[in-house]
Amino acid sequence: MPTHTTIVEDYDIVRRVIGGDINTFGFLVKKYQGHILSVVGNHIPYNQAEEVAHDVFVKAYQSLLTFKYKGGFKQWLSVIAVRTCCDYWRKEYRSREIPMSSCSEEEQKFVERASAKQSIQATSQENSQKKARELLDRALVKLSPEDKMALEMVYLEGLSAKEAAGLLGWSVANVKIRLFRSRKKLRKILTGFLEN
Amino acid sequence: MRFDKKNYTQLESALIKAYREKEKPQVSEQWEMNVMQHIRSLGALPFKTSPFELFEQFGWRFAPAACVVIALLTFWMVKLDVTPEDEMAKFSIDHPIEASYIEMPGL
Repeated sequence: MPTHTTIVEDYDIVRRVIGGDINTFGFLVKKYQGHILSVVGNHIPYNQAEEVAHDVFVKAYQSLLTFKYKGGFKQWLSVIAVRTCCDYWRKEYRSREIPMSSCSEEEQKFVERASAKQSIQATSQENSQKKARELLDRALVKLSPEDKMALEMVYLEGLSAKEAAGLLGWSVANVKIRLFRSRKKLRKILTGFLEN
Repeated sequence: MRFDKKNYTQLESALIKAYREKEKPQVSEQWEMNVMQHIRSLGALPFKTSPFELFEQFGWRFAPAACVVIALLTFWMVKLDVTPEDEMAKFSIDHPIEASYIEMPGL
């Protein structure tokens, strides 16, 4: 949770930037780049995260006049980051070419080990983690951008439905419905991959 | 390969674990410089502020001064012993005709 001092400091910086002191925005970039990279890194492929984080700060600067001085700047910036990730996936989906192949042999091995109780530990090995991520990414990319974001935020990251709703700008009920549907879809996709 | 509920739960746990342990991206100083360069190229923001927005931003700063003024006025009025009913009663006794003129229009 940001402290009151931090919030007031951020408000002062925002006022200065709005007043024309553009360079002061650099303090906010430096201060929140780690947080934004962490948010973006959760939703965007590793090699695209830098570019998307760049877009987040540019969008934040362009929207600074809409900042209401209520709540923290960090929270406001997080909302922009999450929505920029949604935009990224919408763009990707328009031009996507997803191979509909089934699991590779290595992914199949990972699934067999992961689903066998005695070898959950084995999945912590670097290679298994990589395979798990690849499998999950291939499954997630088949969901709609909205379903993907809701599923990642609540189910995978562990945010509450209320927190996710705040970041996505949806109602809590909408998040819960999407989550329920997307979990079902994910299961169908994963089992489809593995049974093929 | 067929999945029962138990197997799928185990697979889910492994996938969640893998997701949470995903490597976080790092950026260089060059990235920061590029962001600022892009922002500078956009120029200063068009600063338009309505009087209402200005009040919302700065009005609260006058709140302590307003509280002090209210306290001083209250103290002054209590010290003066301002009791309008007594004053009116005294006035109507001393000047009954003028008092009736004042009461008629509801002054």
